[in-house]
Amino acid sequence: MNKVLMKGNEALAEGAILAGCRGFFGYPITPSSEIAEYMARKLPKIGGIFVQAESELAAINMVYGGAATGTRVMTASSGPGLSLKQEGISFISEAELPCLIVNISRGGPGLGGIQPSQGDYFQATRGGGHGDYHTMVLAPASTQEMMDFAILGYELADRYRIPVVIMAEGTLGNLMEPVIVRDEVTSFPEKPWAISGCQGRKPNIVNTLHLTAEGLEQRNRHLFSKYKEIGMNEKRAETFMVEDADIVVVAFGLLARVIKRSVIDARKHGIKAGLIRPMTLWPFPDEHIKAVADTCKVMLSMEISMGQMIQDIRLAAEGRVPVEFYGRIGFLPNPEELTREIIALAERKGL
Amino acid sequence: MGSLAIFAGGFGSGKSEVAINFAIDMASKSQKIVFADLDLVNPFFASRDAREKLISENIRLVAPGGELAFGDVPNLPTDIIALMKQDNDMLIDLAGDEVGSLVIGYLSNLVVERGDYQFYLVINPYRPFAGELESIKELRQHLEKAGLIKFTGIISNPNMVEETNLDLVLKGHRRVVEFAAKLELPVKYLTVEERIYNCLPHEYRSIAKKITLYLRPGWLHGSGGGK
Repeated sequence: MNKVLMKGNEALAEGAILAGCRGFFGYPITPSSEIAEYMARKLPKIGGIFVQAESELAAINMVYGGAATGTRVMTASSGPGLSLKQEGISFISEAELPCLIVNISRGGPGLGGIQPSQGDYFQATRGGGHGDYHTMVLAPASTQEMMDFAILGYELADRYRIPVVIMAEGTLGNLMEPVIVRDEVTSFPEKPWAISGCQGRKPNIVNTLHLTAEGLEQRNRHLFSKYKEIGMNEKRAETFMVEDADIVVVAFGLLARVIKRSVIDARKHGIKAGLIRPMTLWPFPDEHIKAVADTCKVMLSMEISMGQMIQDIRLAAEGRVPVEFYGRIGFLPNPEELTREIIALAERKGL
Repeated sequence: MGSLAIFAGGFGSGKSEVAINFAIDMASKSQKIVFADLDLVNPFFASRDAREKLISENIRLVAPGGELAFGDVPNLPTDIIALMKQDNDMLIDLAGDEVGSLVIGYLSNLVVERGDYQFYLVINPYRPFAGELESIKELRQHLEKAGLIKFTGIISNPNMVEETNLDLVLKGHRRVVEFAAKLELPVKYLTVEERIYNCLPHEYRSIAKKITLYLRPGWLHGSGGGK
C-alpha cells in the first residue's frame, strides 16, 4: 500500500491522472492553484497536455474541445473563476460531454476573500449558467476523498455523459493528510460520440444550437430524463449516529468532519445528536433526510455560508421536521463552537 | 549581529512547523528573537497562525498583517529590512518551492551582510516530488537560483502527521541521508514529534530535535480522514 502525504489539491490532481486525465486547462487562483501546479509538473511527462489559458473563459472552452474528443480532461478554479466558466459549462452540459470541473471554494460574493467557503452551493447545484441543466456535484471531506472522488468523478462523467463538479473548501484543498494512492484506471468506456477522426464512418457533430421549438424541447426532455436516472442511481451520503438522534446535523465537506467531533461531544452532554453528510450535493441525497425526518425532533443545517443547502434539506423534509441553521463565513469553525450550538439548540427545543 | 536561520523547501515539507519550533526553543536563550513569516504565496496553514504562541514566548512576529494576513499578494512586511540590519536572532520562514524563495533572493544582500547564517533545506520524503533524488536536486537548484544564496544544511522532517511511527521516521530519514550525501550537504537536524523522539535509537539523538505541531487542527485526529 503506497501512502503519500498530500495536500487535498495534490491528491485530487493525482486522482485525476490515475483516472486517465490527459488534459488540464486552467487559470490559477488561490486556493486551487496547487492543482494546476501539480498538473503542470506531471502531465507533460506522461503524454498529457497542460495549458495555462489566457483566461477562465478560454480554459473552459478548451475543456469543451478536449472533452469532445473523448479524452478525459479537466479544469480547476475557485468561485470567481467558476463564475466566468459558467457559459462554457452550460454548453458542455448541453453537448453532454464528460469532464471534471473543480471548485476549491473561497468566500464571495465578488472578489470576496480567499478564506474557505461553501457559498457556491447554489451555483454548483442549480446548474450555474443559463438554461435548464445540472452538473453532478461531489463534495469530498478528506484528502483521501479528494483523490477517490476525482476517480469516481470521471467514471460518473463518462457513464452519464455529464460534467462532474468537485467542490471542496479551500482548507481541504490545502490540508495535508496521508493518502493511499489508488491503482491506475485501465479500462475506459467506448465513446462512439467522440470527435476522433471519422474515417469509415459518418462525422460526429458537437453542437448546442437547436433552432426549432420541437428540437429544443426534445433536447431538454432528453437531458432531464438523464437527470432523473442519475437521481435514482447516484445519491450518496454518509450517516453517523442518526438512528436514535433527536438532533440531526446536516453538513458537507471538511466541515462535516469537524461536526463529527461535535456530535460525539454533544452525546457526552446527554444530547442525542447525529450527522448526515451529503457526498453528492447534486443529486441531493433527499432519501437520507426523509429516512430520519419522522424519528428526529429537529434538523440543523451547518454551512460555511449564509444558508443555502438548508433549502434542499427543507424540500426533502417536506415540513415533517423543523430545519434550523447555523453558519459562519470566512473560516472553518472549531468543534467546541459547533458543540455549543448543538447544545443551545437542544436547550431551546427542550431536548 | 546575532544568528539567522532561513527555512526553505518544497510546498508542505514542514518548514513552518519546524521554524516555529526552532524559534520557541531559542526563546529560553535569547530575548531578541524575530520570527519572520514571509510566506506570501498561500495563507492556509501559515506560521502566522501561531501568532499567540510566538508572542507568548516573547518572540517578535513579522508577517503580513491586518487585512493582508490572509492574503496571497506580494506584500513583504516593510520592517523586515530594518530588522535584518539590527542585532537580533532571526528566523525566516519562506513559502514553498522557488516562488517562495524569491523573497530571500530579494533580501540576499542583507543576508550576506549579516555574516553568519543557516539556509536550511527542509525535506519530508513522504511528500510528492520529495521521494526521488532527481526532483530534490531540481528543487535545490531552483531554490538556490531564486534565493541567491547557497544551502548550508538539510533538516530531515520525515512524517505522515498523525500516522507517523518510528519505523516510518527511520526509513524516511535514511532516504534523506542518502539524498544529502549526493547533494553534498550535511543533515543538521532530524525533527520528530515528542512521542517519536522518546523511542528514537541512541545514535540519532545527536541530531534529533523534538517538535510540537502548532498549525495542525486538533480535531483531525480520529475524524475519519484516511479511510
